[in-house]
Amino acid sequence: MLEIKDVRAGFDGTEIIKGITLSVKKGEVHAIMGPNGSGKSTLAKILSGHPSYEVMSGEVTLDGQNLLEMEPEKRALKGVFMGFQYPVEIPGVNNAEFLRMAYNAKRIHEGQEELDPLDFDEILTEKMKVLGMEQKYKDRSLNEGFSGGEKKKNEILQMAILEPKLAVLDETDSGLDIDALRVVANGVNKLRNENNALILITHYQRLLEYIQPDFVHVLSQGKIIKSGEKGLALELEAQGYDWLTTTH
Amino acid sequence: MTTTAAESTDQAESALLDQHKQFLSETQPAADILALNESAIQRFEVLKFPYRKHEMYTFVNTKDITAAPYVFSYGASVAEDFIKKHVYPGCEKSVLVLVDGVYRENLSDISGTSVRLMPIVEALSQADIKSYLESTVANENDVFACINSAFLNHGLMIDVPEKTQSESPLQILHVSTGSPAGKVTTLPRVLVRLGVMAELKLIVKYAGVQGNYFVNSVLDVLVGEDAGVAFTQIQQDNGDAWHCSKNRIVLDRNSRFHASNASYGNKLTRHHYEVHLKETGAELWLNGVSVLTDEEQVHNFVRIHHAAPHCVSNQQFKNIVDDHSRSSIDGTVIVNEGAQLTVSDQLINNLMLSDNAHADNKPNLMIFADDVKCTHGATIGQINEDQLFYLKTRGLSTKIAKELLTKSFADSLIQTIAFPAVVEDLENTLLKKLES
Ligand SMILES: Nc1ncnc2c1ncn2[C@@H]1O[C@H](COP(=O)(O)OP(=O)(O)OP(=O)(O)O)[C@@H](O)[C@H]1O
Ligand SMILES: [Mg+2]
Repeated sequence: MLEIKDVRAGFDGTEIIKGITLSVKKGEVHAIMGPNGSGKSTLAKILSGHPSYEVMSGEVTLDGQNLLEMEPEKRALKGVFMGFQYPVEIPGVNNAEFLRMAYNAKRIHEGQEELDPLDFDEILTEKMKVLGMEQKYKDRSLNEGFSGGEKKKNEILQMAILEPKLAVLDETDSGLDIDALRVVANGVNKLRNENNALILITHYQRLLEYIQPDFVHVLSQGKIIKSGEKGLALELEAQGYDWLTTTH
Repeated sequence: MTTTAAESTDQAESALLDQHKQFLSETQPAADILALNESAIQRFEVLKFPYRKHEMYTFVNTKDITAAPYVFSYGASVAEDFIKKHVYPGCEKSVLVLVDGVYRENLSDISGTSVRLMPIVEALSQADIKSYLESTVANENDVFACINSAFLNHGLMIDVPEKTQSESPLQILHVSTGSPAGKVTTLPRVLVRLGVMAELKLIVKYAGVQGNYFVNSVLDVLVGEDAGVAFTQIQQDNGDAWHCSKNRIVLDRNSRFHASNASYGNKLTRHHYEVHLKETGAELWLNGVSVLTDEEQVHNFVRIHHAAPHCVSNQQFKNIVDDHSRSSIDGTVIVNEGAQLTVSDQLINNLMLSDNAHADNKPNLMIFADDVKCTHGATIGQINEDQLFYLKTRGLSTKIAKELLTKSFADSLIQTIAFPAVVEDLENTLLKKLES
């Protein structure tokens, strides 16, 4: 589904991603772990098309199509979802209204009719229940004044509504207490099926107890220095990243 | 040889003086109003039209509105549909219609209110009104307001009796009929007086049937002790028009004036707020939002005088400027000696959607008391790239995402307006301007 081939990328001419190759097939869950500043979020932003980041070489394809030349909204409509590490606050934009606009943008893209506010509200109410989100978040401004955990839940709510083909979740687990983490993981697991794929960026192996990855990759200084199965996450947890970066 | 700005201004001034003589001989004002007309024209001679650099018109080019002699219009007929369209739901029985500055009883209905009306000409027989108006003329610093007083003839006084409140807001609808031929000038004049503990919800709307007019309006609001006004002014003139409005607010002990302005812009709009927090405990809120495209202009000139202790003034302005439009805020808060424990905030936020647009700010504080809490600030920003990116990653096109962000910028102020019908109307019309 997703093919990343020898990608070098950064911003202002500084290379942060220094040659990454990764293949994600449908149905798979990949975890990307690594120390602070290793380039995890940069990789996620490249995949979602943030305009400040530039790809210096390499290629990324989604189902054979060149992802890098697509605008962010086109990637979204093709089924790529980015769960942000730090979701922005947008005062004055009503959360429910925004969610409906995003949902309808997808429906229009797929040649379906837009849903009116009432019909959409049914879907929204249901998904919010699953995530244990209070209904009052519908009427709030998008992420404005949300706690860290509420923002992350709101990201997963968007994912649940957009039902992406490929979701990249950047540290969705940080800022969540254990109960919230369980709820979020549960929500993500419900969305998993053999046709979609997931890239989980995380610091801790904690999340991986709830969402079982098929592969774990360790990112350090812009490179994948080790890949393995889920046991690798446990080893990392026990020994820390130094174990890898020094023996590397 | 071409004439210089100074020469043509001189000519315009003498043309106006001639015109005033003619006005007096034609209208033969009664003694009280005559005295006011005459002192106003004398004041005009002192103030003169602004040209070159004038400190009150730093950002405003007044060339088009100083082209005296003026052709005054006192109101042609207006289609009833036009009036209906501009009366807010809920104001049907509390609306005063002034056509080109002239009160039109047949188009108005105040059966749902307890206010009392009287021509200003008659109200001048009351000593306090007379001395108030005389002092405003003697101290007038706004040449356009001065012209309004010099030719004052049709003004309307609204009395809100003490301890009265009205359920529904009172709407004053100023209709400018405009002209297909040459430019016409109108001089709406309204004086509102609130008695002790009276409450008034007041909506003032300016609309134009067609273009080619200069509406030069003055509103005085005298707010009695413990009285309160919730005020919204909507400038929705024809795009091919010029607009000057001076609002002079005088606040007595423990009174409140909560104001919101919404401006659609046109060739030139200049709002002048002169607010006197005259007695202790008075409170002013003043919000303003402008959404400007093409070559539209809206300028705000604000002077707030804190003359007594324990008063509060709170201002917030948001301007969106696109294309070649211009906005400016020239706002000074003056805290007099003795106005201790003043609390005053002024915040100006501008959103620039085009490199060719202008948003000028001149916030200023003049403080002559020592125990005060005053802040002011101004920002000029573009669309936030991270917010735009976030929305795009959810599948919204750049166009839709930008519209959503610009609308939300203005909407946060619109939402503070006390009248749901006005909020809805602004969201449906003012914010629509942001859709291309
Ligand atoms: N917009 C930016 N401006 C300046 N530096 C940046 C920017 N984005 C990333 N960097 C730098 O690039 C490097 C990689 O950052 P990135 O955010 O991708 O790391 P990360 O692995 O996600 O870290 P963390 O675990 O803290 O989230 C860091 O050195 C960071 O300081
Ligand atoms: Mg990161």
